[in-house]
Amino acid sequence: MRFMLDQLELQSGFARRWLLDSSMMTSDADITRCYDALHRFFDFVEKVDKTRLDTLLFKLQGLKDIRTTIKNLHNHATLDDIELFEVKHLAILATDVARLLHEHEMDRVVEIPALDEVISILDPDGMKIATFYIYDSYCAQLKELRVRMRQHPEQQDDLMLAAGELEEGVRKDLSQQLHPFATAVEQAQIALACIDVNLAKAMQMRQMGLCFPVLSPDETSRYEAMFHPQVKAALADHGKAFQPVDISFGQHPTLITGANMGGKTVVLKTLTLCQLLFQFGFGIPAASAQIAVKDEIHFCIGDEQSVEKGLSSFAAEMKNIDAVIKASREDKKLLALIDEPARTTNPTEGAALVTALLQVLAGRDMSLVMTTHYDIEPGEARCLRVKGFENGEMDYQLVEVHDGEVPHEALNIAQSLGIDTEWIETARSLIDAATENRNSNH
Amino acid sequence: MSPLDCEGAPGCLHSRQRNHRVQGVPFINDILRYDSLSIVGLEKNTGKTECLKYVLDRLPVNSRRIAVTSIGIDGETVDQVTRTQKPEIVLREGTYFATSEAHYRQRRLVSELIDVSDESTSLGRVVTAQARTGGKILLSGPSSASGLRRWMGEMRQRFNIDLVVIDGALSRMSSASPAVSQSMILATGAAYSANLNTLVSKTAHVVDLINLDLTGERNLEMLTPLEKGLWFIDKDGALTSLDTMTSLSRDIHFEGMDNCETLYVAGALVDGFLEKVRKNRQLKQVELVVRDFTKIFVTPQQFRLFIKAGGRVRVLQKSKLIAVTVNPTSPSGYVLDSDTLCGRLSEAIGLPVYDLLKNNQQCN
Repeated sequence: MRFMLDQLELQSGFARRWLLDSSMMTSDADITRCYDALHRFFDFVEKVDKTRLDTLLFKLQGLKDIRTTIKNLHNHATLDDIELFEVKHLAILATDVARLLHEHEMDRVVEIPALDEVISILDPDGMKIATFYIYDSYCAQLKELRVRMRQHPEQQDDLMLAAGELEEGVRKDLSQQLHPFATAVEQAQIALACIDVNLAKAMQMRQMGLCFPVLSPDETSRYEAMFHPQVKAALADHGKAFQPVDISFGQHPTLITGANMGGKTVVLKTLTLCQLLFQFGFGIPAASAQIAVKDEIHFCIGDEQSVEKGLSSFAAEMKNIDAVIKASREDKKLLALIDEPARTTNPTEGAALVTALLQVLAGRDMSLVMTTHYDIEPGEARCLRVKGFENGEMDYQLVEVHDGEVPHEALNIAQSLGIDTEWIETARSLIDAATENRNSNH
Repeated sequence: MSPLDCEGAPGCLHSRQRNHRVQGVPFINDILRYDSLSIVGLEKNTGKTECLKYVLDRLPVNSRRIAVTSIGIDGETVDQVTRTQKPEIVLREGTYFATSEAHYRQRRLVSELIDVSDESTSLGRVVTAQARTGGKILLSGPSSASGLRRWMGEMRQRFNIDLVVIDGALSRMSSASPAVSQSMILATGAAYSANLNTLVSKTAHVVDLINLDLTGERNLEMLTPLEKGLWFIDKDGALTSLDTMTSLSRDIHFEGMDNCETLYVAGALVDGFLEKVRKNRQLKQVELVVRDFTKIFVTPQQFRLFIKAGGRVRVLQKSKLIAVTVNPTSPSGYVLDSDTLCGRLSEAIGLPVYDLLKNNQQCN
């Protein structure tokens, strides 16, 4: 998710903050509305000519975070010159952007409140440029003082003092006049951030080849040719291609098995990413996507594989999964993505823990996608397996299988990595001996 | 009459400089040929602020859009390090300036805000405004070289500023780097060294570095994109990287470099490295290239030895040194003779040298 945010070409720091402060959408209506707007912006980016788009983007670079100023305005405080400048700057920016969008019939998509009155308060000479000072035309007396200032620089200090008082009076007056518009200014600021975010999302969709998702009609999420943007970009840097994956999952537990280096973890990470992107209204990295809205997303990955941390990483993992089980008892739409649970413990207990977890969660109304290396009884779970090593190449596609049997390809893969032959061959002979033993016992 | 018109007046060196005869207001006209000027002092109290004041008083602020900023906090009435009197920055109507929010609120002039940047200093955000009356202001603009560069870019792009004048920080050459400003004025004086000979030779060393010639076209093209490491170009024009990342490294080997024509140091150039190159027979004919003079951190002695041994140092970027100014008075009260100082220094560097304070007193 960080990668997707970093790759988002936002024009203003305020838009980034606004996006980071926003919370995940959990209602169908919000998500639909969000993608409807994004659709409009996507079409707009598609058909608008480059210079116009650049003008708009350039304008949005001028968007500043003036929340403190707006708060002061709400609180009847007297704004200083810098704050008055900020309000004027924003009002002119909002008007310019609104005009640009209006030309493309985009003004209905994100409503920008009209701030003409704000501008006229802060632009007494009708210059229509975003600069500000306490203009001469605000106060005849002030004008006179300034004329004298220019004529008699030696009296400047005294004149400045007198002028300062008059200026403060003007500021007070202006702040009072502006107070009723505080809410409109605030809305305009958010609207501009929203436009910035939408444009950035639309451009990102084009750049990365992302798709518009559809709300799933049932509780099943379906992805065609799903990819992980960051892994894809990293592979592309090495001149390699990412093999997209088709996957779907519903309210039944889904178990993914497959050889090492088969991309199981990448699949889980991508699913998590897609779900988050969906609920934050981004384009989805897939050819097509039908996604069910969730209230909570749990992603458990026990990734710390160091000797000293053996126990603590196990403990952390157990706690994470425990949270999933607890959440599953509540009346919430839940998606849990668990990567190789209990991998850091012995295979006997590990397999038992995984089997039990499947049994416990199978009865609950939730979506569960889990990967494992353990040979376990899948029960009600749907089993997907990475196609695996074929003709010296890894095929990352997932196929549905009807048993939970895990592939035994670890030795072949290790061999292909050029691992010490003595080690691998000894392991192979141990397995052969064990198999013979079992056969002779039968 | 401008002090610099006064040919032959005491304190003015023009009469003595056969090679550097100048007419009109040379200083100012020279400055206007570039889009940026930084004023750098070699030490506190070398008259940097005096020089800024002098320049700002004479630039045509009505016919050109001129903006001024400071890379360090400047404009404080009393020097914060040495507690000596400092002149205040007085702006004329029409001048653009950048300062921090805090200092903007303390301004003693009427000015029109044109920009509030996201750039933040310890004194708040950087604001840019245009003076609507003359008056005093504390300058404290973007404090990093990159922030300064961004601000300058915006000034040119959005407000069509013709010239940016930068009040450089004390002994920080970064603002004078050609990557930031096209031209510079160097302020030196008794505060840098109270011994006339030392002062002249130390200043001459800095001037020598600033005036290093640009390397050839081919080298410029090949080396400019390389931002780090050590590289060499052989006689066939092939570019090779040395394994070492910086010239600071102890184990730099020059084996297999007998074909080497150009040696490029992307980062800092230091004494030890220069000595190694000088003592290496294979590298007798080599041209040593650095990015710009601000990357050279070698002692005058070591540099002289290198040049005497026939070594050549060239740069990828160069800023135009417009003038050198001197302040013959040190903060401890020691005063050098202005005429002697100007004469000796001018002779050593082959450039006009000005004592602005003295000129001001005598010619205004």
